[in-house]
Amino acid sequence: MKRSKRFEVLAARPVNQDGFVKEWPEVGLIAMGSPNDPIPSIKIENGKIVEMDGVARSNFDFIEQFIADYAIDVKVAEKAMAMEASQIAKMLVDVNVSRKEVVDIVRGLTAAKLVAVFNTMNVVEMMMAMQKMRARKTPSNQCHITNVNDNPVLIAADGAEAALRGFDEMETTVAVVRYAPFNALALLIGSQAGRGGTLIQCALEEATELELGMRGITAYAETISVYGTENVFVDGDDTPWSKAFLASAYASRGLKMRFTSGTGSEVQMGYAEGKSMLYLEIRCIMLTRGAGVQGLQNGSVSCIGVPAAVPSGIRAVLAENLCAAMLDMEVASSNDQTFTHSDIRRTARTLMQFLPGTDFICSGYSGVPNYDNMFAGSNWDVDDYDDWNIMQRDLKVDGGLRPASEEEVIAVRNKAARGLQAVFKELGFPAITDEEVEAATYAHGSKDVPARNVVEDLKAAQELMSRGITGIDIVKALAKNGFNDLAGHILNILKQRISGDYLHTSAILDKDFNVISAVNSRNDYRGPGTGYQMSDERWNEIKNISQAINPSDYDA
Amino acid sequence: MSQEKMIEDMVREVLKSMSKGAPIAQTPQAAPVAATQGLNPDKDYPLATKRPELLKSPTGKKLSDITLANVLNGDVKSQDVRIAPETLRMQAEIADGVGRNQFGDNLRRAAELTAIPDERILQIYNALRPYRSTRAELLAIAEEMETKYNAKINAAFVREAAGVYERRNRLRAE
Repeated sequence: MKRSKRFEVLAARPVNQDGFVKEWPEVGLIAMGSPNDPIPSIKIENGKIVEMDGVARSNFDFIEQFIADYAIDVKVAEKAMAMEASQIAKMLVDVNVSRKEVVDIVRGLTAAKLVAVFNTMNVVEMMMAMQKMRARKTPSNQCHITNVNDNPVLIAADGAEAALRGFDEMETTVAVVRYAPFNALALLIGSQAGRGGTLIQCALEEATELELGMRGITAYAETISVYGTENVFVDGDDTPWSKAFLASAYASRGLKMRFTSGTGSEVQMGYAEGKSMLYLEIRCIMLTRGAGVQGLQNGSVSCIGVPAAVPSGIRAVLAENLCAAMLDMEVASSNDQTFTHSDIRRTARTLMQFLPGTDFICSGYSGVPNYDNMFAGSNWDVDDYDDWNIMQRDLKVDGGLRPASEEEVIAVRNKAARGLQAVFKELGFPAITDEEVEAATYAHGSKDVPARNVVEDLKAAQELMSRGITGIDIVKALAKNGFNDLAGHILNILKQRISGDYLHTSAILDKDFNVISAVNSRNDYRGPGTGYQMSDERWNEIKNISQAINPSDYDA
Repeated sequence: MSQEKMIEDMVREVLKSMSKGAPIAQTPQAAPVAATQGLNPDKDYPLATKRPELLKSPTGKKLSDITLANVLNGDVKSQDVRIAPETLRMQAEIADGVGRNQFGDNLRRAAELTAIPDERILQIYNALRPYRSTRAELLAIAEEMETKYNAKINAAFVREAAGVYERRNRLRAE
């Protein structure tokens, strides 16, 4: 066939390098509305659920048993289940119906019923619902801080810049597992150099992640994965009971935590049982609620390539975020892993959470260049900082970030690197040279900083663990070297675990270490002029980009 | 290795583990469940600013004791920045007050777990993973939780898990 020149151009467009697939319900390759999704039903006898979504109690898999016994409120279930799905959907978008009224119905619904509700809604309706159902009044954002070499000096500097730019939470992980203690330490110091009160985590295998938290090197945890079918759950080496126990273990040490799940994980791991991705994800969300976990990172997360490849997949991703909010939990709404070559498509995907606002719009935004992102890249990275800021300005939307000047960025990056240099010296770890500090201060990414002696670093990182070094030792090391403000900030983070205020739903800390959560900052959206209203101060911050010409400069 | 040397090493190991888990290891019994405080989410939260007088670390330190000066003079140690079981139960009341009863229950389980040392917590978590434990092993953990740590809610939770794992064939084959 003779090729059309127009089709040749289209074929070369970035979007056509993406992968797409037609629905295949039998293996679960369907985002929403699989013909195999169960019909909603509930039967309660003597205060116990004896049948749910067509399955008798004796045939419940362990997820169903956990949901039936812990997640669903049997006191309201029969009444809630008797409502039409479309009626519940209308309540979600009706500004005259309060968030609380919806939450009180949702607590009695089964997974199949929730799916039925979302099947009636389009994305604009879901966004309207998200604006009302988000637990914390003020939206926020989270970032990733990693690099290919696990260079700790660069992690500290990147963490400082990201905190200054507005992220309230930041997450690191490792290229080499044994570097973990250093990555966490570097991010702890960096985060507090950028903005006191920023919370940090280090994503690792469950037990190690908990240990770093117990030591006071990290402030919260998120990589506690749950899955929507029993087989995949077992493949993930856990059960609802082991994960719920882990959740209580975190709280017992005064540590904030959330679970992680997402559409597509079950089909990717080959055990979707022919159910839609959204149905399986809603089981994860309900299980999280049942475990008594305050929040969830979801929105497909690292499986985004799967829902993004099928029809209505990005709509399903919004539905799962919304569902977590409806179950009255914090939602860290993904917008992380790269899924497309198209700038248009990645922006459209993010608007679903950016416009209504979520507890953490990205989880996270790459606070490093994409080549340094050890979470397999992110939908947004450092090169997009100005795009994000200008999107906030164009639409008057609070996406959690703020424009930052080159001077202030350089200053906090340098301070973080010097703080880490002092702590390494004080604790007898391999020296950080002034040259390394200088390079990290001005770097774009790991290509711009000198290599470290990895063998020596890894030895010292293990020593950090074997010597039993804790957050208190870091505080001391900083103070002894004149970094009293950083020492004070880290001590204030450690102090949070005495009061436990930040264990609550959607908690973040402001720059004075006050807790802002869905207890003292409950979302009270009831239509135009209510709910989160941007302050003049915040709007001025967003408006004032350095790129804008000042008309007064042209005054005659 | 001579017997004396062996005993000496053992004693040293025991002392080391005691000092690591200091306040916890010395008080293996969870604090008795205190009467509820009648806390109101709107008036009393955040506890750190609204009701600081109610807050103490498990070692008895008040929030106002946690200062940089006290860290530097050695008065504040790592075990002083931990949460007390009473505090978790107060936060559970706050959670109940905003309708988050499952979250409240999680905090009440957590209050019990404060009595269990870090290392044992990690072991129990691993034992609860699929195919790790026999039914008898899980029941023994439940028994230990109940008698040694007074962790009754968690004990019941582990017993329930043993039953579910048996029904769903997720126990370790004997």
